[in-house]
Amino acid sequence: MSSAVVVRSLVNRNVASAVVRKSFRPLALQVRHAHQDTAYVPGGPIYKGTVNDPTTFPPPNRSHGSYHWAFERLLSASLIPMTAAAYVTSGTNYPVLDGILGMSLIVHSHIGFDSIVVDYLHKRKFPVLGPITSWTLRAVTVAALVGVYQFNTNDIGLTELIAKVWHA
Amino acid sequence: MISSRALGLTPTFRQAVVAHKSSHSLILRTAVAKRGVQTQSLPPSAAEKILNEQRLKRPSSPHFTIYQPQLTWLGSIANRVTGAGLSVLMYGYCIGYLVAPETFASANVIELAASMPEAVKIAGKTILAAPFAFHSWNGIRHLGWDMTKFITLKGAYQSGYAVLAATAVSTVALVLM
Amino acid sequence: MQSLIARSAFVRSQAARVPVVRTFASSAARFQATPAEKPVLQKEFKIYRWNPDQPAEKPTLQSYTIDLNQCGPMILDALIKIKNEIDPTLTFRRSCREGICGSCAMNINGQNTLACLCRIERDSGKDSKIYPLPHMYIVKDLVPDLTLFYKQYKSIEPYLKNDNPPQGREFLQSQEDRRKLDGMYECILCACCSTSCPSYWWNQDVYLGPATLMAAYRWIADSRDTYKAERKEKLQNEMSLYRCHTIFNCARTCPKGLNPAQAIAKLKLELAAE
Repeated sequence: MSSAVVVRSLVNRNVASAVVRKSFRPLALQVRHAHQDTAYVPGGPIYKGTVNDPTTFPPPNRSHGSYHWAFERLLSASLIPMTAAAYVTSGTNYPVLDGILGMSLIVHSHIGFDSIVVDYLHKRKFPVLGPITSWTLRAVTVAALVGVYQFNTNDIGLTELIAKVWHA
Repeated sequence: MISSRALGLTPTFRQAVVAHKSSHSLILRTAVAKRGVQTQSLPPSAAEKILNEQRLKRPSSPHFTIYQPQLTWLGSIANRVTGAGLSVLMYGYCIGYLVAPETFASANVIELAASMPEAVKIAGKTILAAPFAFHSWNGIRHLGWDMTKFITLKGAYQSGYAVLAATAVSTVALVLM
Repeated sequence: MQSLIARSAFVRSQAARVPVVRTFASSAARFQATPAEKPVLQKEFKIYRWNPDQPAEKPTLQSYTIDLNQCGPMILDALIKIKNEIDPTLTFRRSCREGICGSCAMNINGQNTLACLCRIERDSGKDSKIYPLPHMYIVKDLVPDLTLFYKQYKSIEPYLKNDNPPQGREFLQSQEDRRKLDGMYECILCACCSTSCPSYWWNQDVYLGPATLMAAYRWIADSRDTYKAERKEKLQNEMSLYRCHTIFNCARTCPKGLNPAQAIAKLKLELAAE
C-alpha cells in the first residue's frame, strides 16, 4: 500500500475512533429518543465523519470472512451425501456415520442461528440483548451437541429415531 | 393563477398566493419588496449541528410492508424460517434428551407417535417433510449460486419454481413413505 | 415574462385566424380534420408525503387523480404533472428523464425502479402507490438521504489504482479482459438495488449493499488494477460483504437490467479461492 493511502487511512481511523469514543453509550437503542443529543448511533440518521469521509471497514479477519463462508458451504454440501448415506444405511448399524450427521446438523444449525443473530440482533445495535442472545446460542449449541452425542451412544440414534417415528 | 401570470408577477408571488390564500396581509408583505424575515449570523461550524438536528427528525421509509411480494425474497425468508424451525426442533429434542433421557427416550417418542390418530400422523409428517424438502432443495439452489451456476435473473426464477415443484413432489413422497 | 405573454397571445390570435395557404396540407379533408377528443382516463396516485417543516406529523399517503390522456406515459410524467398542476409542494428528485442519471429512483407499486423508465399502468380502476426508496431516512416526500450510500461507495475506492501506469501511451486491455467489466460499469448508482435488499435494510450501516459491492468487484475484476489483494482484504469481515444471502432482490429490481447478485457471487468465490 502506498504511503499516501496509509496516511489517509490513519487519519480516517483517528477521526472515526474519536467519534466512537464520544458516542459510546451502553443503551443507545432508540434513535428517536435521542433528540438534542446528536451522537452517532449505529443505523441511525447521523453518520460518522462528514459527507465526504468514506465509511470505514472492520479489521480484516478471514475466519469471519472467506474461511467462514467456505466452511459453511463445504459443510452444507457434505450434508447431502451424509443424509443420503444415512438413509440407505441404518443408524444403529453405522453409529459413527449417524453421529457425524447429527453433529454436522447441529453445527449447520448453529451457523444458521448465528447468522440470524448477526442480521437482526447485532451487538452494535443491541448492546445488551445481542451478546446475551449469541452467548445463549453458544451454550445451547454445546448442550445440543452433548445431547445428540448421548442420544447416539445410549439410544438408537437420530436417523433410526426419525425412521421409526415415520413408520410408527 | 392565470390572472397573476397575466399581470406578469413572479412565481414567488404566485406561490405565496397559493400557499396563503386566507391571509391577505401576508401576500402584501411578500409582494411588496420589504423583507419581514430576520436573519441570524452563524459560524460555519454550526451547519453540522443544524443538519444533525434535522436528521434526527427524519422518518425511516416503509420497507417490507410495502415491497412487492416476490419469489426472490419470499423464497429467502422461507429458507430461513424452515431451517430455523427444523433446527429448533432438533435442538429441543437433543437438549430435552440431555436433561431428561427417560422422558425423551426413543421408545417413548415412537410410542407417542404410534398412539396418534391417522389424520394427526399425516399432518405431522407433512409439517416435518415440507420444510425439510424446501430447505434441502433450496439449499442445493444456493450451493449452485455460490458456484455461480444459474445466477441470472432468469436462472433464479427458473430454479425457484423448480424448487417449489420439487418441494411439492418430495413432500408427498415423504409423507407416503 | 411580459414579453413572453405578449408573444403567446400573438401566437394564439394567429392560430385563431384561418391561414390562407398551407402548401404542405395533402388534402382539404385532412386540413380540416380536428384531432379526436381523447376520453378522460382518470387514475389515482397515492404518494408518500412527509414534510420536514412539520416533523411531528406522521408520514401519510396523499391521493392525486389525473387524466392519463393529458399526461405522458411514464410515472415521472405523472409526478411532474401533479407538481405543475395540483400540488407544487410535492417533492422528488429528477433530472435526465431517460434512465441515465438515477435521480428519480423510488418505490413504485412495491418495486424499486426509476420513475422515468416506469410506465403508468393504464388501468383507471387500480391506483398507483409511490413510496420513496425503502428503509431510508427521508429528507422530504420522495427524497431519501443517500449520504451513507455515497460514503460507502467512496470507501471501496472506485477508481483505478496502479502504481506503474504506462507512460505516454494508452492503458491497453485485451478484449476478453474488457468484457469482464460488462454488466458492471453500466451501474448508475440509483440505489434501487441496495434499498431493495433486506440485508441492507437491517444492516446498512455496516453492510455495503449490492450497488457498492458490484462497484467493488468492478475494480477487482479490472485487469489494469494492481490493488486487488488490498481491495479483497478489506472485505474479509463478517459484515461488509458476507451479509449478502443471495436474496436476489437486487437483480430483480435493477432498472438497468444489471446483476449485482452475480457480481457478489463471483466476489465471494474469488475471496474463498485465495
